[in-house]
Amino acid sequence: MYNEKVVKFLNKNKKMLRFENVSKIYPGDFVALEDIDLKVEQGEFISIVGHSGSGKSTLLKLVYAEEQPTSGIVSFNDRPLDSINRKHLPFYRRNVGTVFQDFKLLPQKTAYENVAYALEVSGESDEEIAERVPEILDIVGMGSKMGKYPRQLSGGEQQRVCMARALVHHPLVIIADEPTGNLDPTSTWEIIQLLLKINSLGTTILLATHNKVIVDKLNRRVVEIDDGRIIRDTEKGKYSSVKDKA
Amino acid sequence: MTKIQRTFKEGLNNFYRNGWLSFATVSVLTISLYIISVTLIIGVASNIVLKNIQGNLDVRVFFKSDVEDTKIQEIRSKLVGYQEIKSIDFVSKEKALEEFKKNSIDDQVISKTLDVIDGNPLLSSLVIKAKSPEQYDIIVKAINGAAFSEDIGNIDYKQNKDAIERFITIIKLVKQVGITLGIVFIFIGVLITFNAIRLTMYAHKQEFEIMRLVGASNIYIRMPFVFEGIFYGAASSIAVMIALLVTSKFLAPITSGSIAGGDIMDFYLSHFFIILLLLLISGIALGTISATIAIRRYLKI
Repeated sequence: MYNEKVVKFLNKNKKMLRFENVSKIYPGDFVALEDIDLKVEQGEFISIVGHSGSGKSTLLKLVYAEEQPTSGIVSFNDRPLDSINRKHLPFYRRNVGTVFQDFKLLPQKTAYENVAYALEVSGESDEEIAERVPEILDIVGMGSKMGKYPRQLSGGEQQRVCMARALVHHPLVIIADEPTGNLDPTSTWEIIQLLLKINSLGTTILLATHNKVIVDKLNRRVVEIDDGRIIRDTEKGKYSSVKDKA
Repeated sequence: MTKIQRTFKEGLNNFYRNGWLSFATVSVLTISLYIISVTLIIGVASNIVLKNIQGNLDVRVFFKSDVEDTKIQEIRSKLVGYQEIKSIDFVSKEKALEEFKKNSIDDQVISKTLDVIDGNPLLSSLVIKAKSPEQYDIIVKAINGAAFSEDIGNIDYKQNKDAIERFITIIKLVKQVGITLGIVFIFIGVLITFNAIRLTMYAHKQEFEIMRLVGASNIYIRMPFVFEGIFYGAASSIAVMIALLVTSKFLAPITSGSIAGGDIMDFYLSHFFIILLLLLISGIALGTISATIAIRRYLKI
C-alpha cells in the first residue's frame, strides 16, 4: 500500500508516537489526564481500555491534535506536536486516520463522495480520486455500494466507509475511538478484522474500546487508563488484569 | 479540479440552494447599488450638462435700432481687450434676421409673419462670452456703467443665471439625498448578505468538524463562503446594470439633447463598461466584506 522502506526506516530509528509526562487539565480544574508516559512503535496494535470518562478519548484527541497537552510533550516521529503551526495542522492530520463511534459521515454525500471528500480537501486531481477511491472502498469491502447514501447503509457498512475515508491518505496511524460502540456483534468483529488487516500492512492502530470480548480475543498490547492515569501497559494483554475464573 | 474550482463550485451550490434567501439578499443589495449608481450618474451627467450650459452662456447686448453698425464695431473693439472677456461676436440685424428665418423654417406662423412684416424687427447685438461663468456679473455691470450704455436696448442675460443657479441647487439636493439613502441601503445590504451567509454556515455546521478531521485547511473551509458573498455582489451588480438600462430608456425622451448632444441612454451606452466595472468591483467588495464578517464571527474552526 505504501513504501515499505519508509516503514522500516521509521521502525528503526524513531518512536512513532510518544507521550512524555503529559497532562491535560480542562478549565475548571478538571484533570482528564495525568502523568502519561507512553511509547508507540510503528506497526503496533494497541487497545486502550478503561471505563467511560477515564480519559481514553482525551488521549486520542492529543494524538490527532484536537487538543494540546497542558503540560508534557506529545511527539509524532520525534516531532513535538505543539511545534506545529496552527496553519499546518491540517497537513499533520492527513497522517492520522480517524474512525469514531458516531461515524461522522456527511449524510448528503454517497459513500464514494464521502471518501472522495477527504482527497478533495488536499487538492488531489479528479483522476487521482477516481482511481484511489474505488480501490480503497474495495479494500474495506464496500466496492459494490459506492453509490449508496449513509442512510441506506447498515451501521457496519457505514463504519467501513469511515475506515476507507481514514485510509485514503495512507496514514501512518489510525485512531479508532469506540468504533464498534454502535454495532452489533457480527459487524463489530468485521470491523476489528478490518483493523487487523490494515495493521498487518504496517499501519499503527490505536483502538479505544470498552468491549471486553474483543480485547481479550485480540491478545495484543493493552494500555489501561483509570482516572486519567495509565495503570497498566502489557503486551498480549487482557481487558482486565483480574484473572477470570477459568 | 483544483481547490479553487472546488470551493468555487461549493460556494455557487450554496448560493443556489439558499433559493429565496439568495433572491431576497440580492434584491436588497441591488437596491443599494442602484441608488448609489443613479446618484453618481446624475452627478456626472449634470456636471456635463452644466459645463455645456456654461459653455453656451453668453451675454447678449442688444443695441437700439438707430445705432450704427460702425459704432457697434467700435464698442466691440473697446471691449475686446477686457481680460474677463473670451470673445465678442457682432451680429448685425440682417444676420439676426437670416438666422431667425433659418431657425423657424418649420414654423408656419412665424414664416408667414416674416413675409408680411416690412423691414427688420430685430436688433443688432454683441454676443459676449466670458472666460468663466462668475465673470458675467462683472461684465454686465461694466456694460451698464459704460459710456455707451444709452445705446443699449436691453441685455439678455439674467434669466440664464437664475436657471443655472436653480439647476445647481436641485442637483446638489439630489446628490445629498442619494448619498444618504445609498449609505443606509448599503449598510442594510451588507447586513442582509452577512446574515444569509451565516445561515449557510449553520446549515453546514456538521461538515466543519469532519473537514478538520479529514485535514482540510482553514482556507479551504472558508473559501466557499467568500465565493458565496462574491456571488451575491456580482448578481446584484448585473441586476443593477439591467435596472439602469431600463431607467435610461425610460428617461431618454426627457433628457434628449441635454447631455453632450445626446440623451441619458447615450450616456449609459457610451459609459457602459466603466459603469459595469465599477458596479462589479463594488458589488464584489460588499459581498466579500459581508462574508468576511460572517466568517470572523461565526465560523468556529
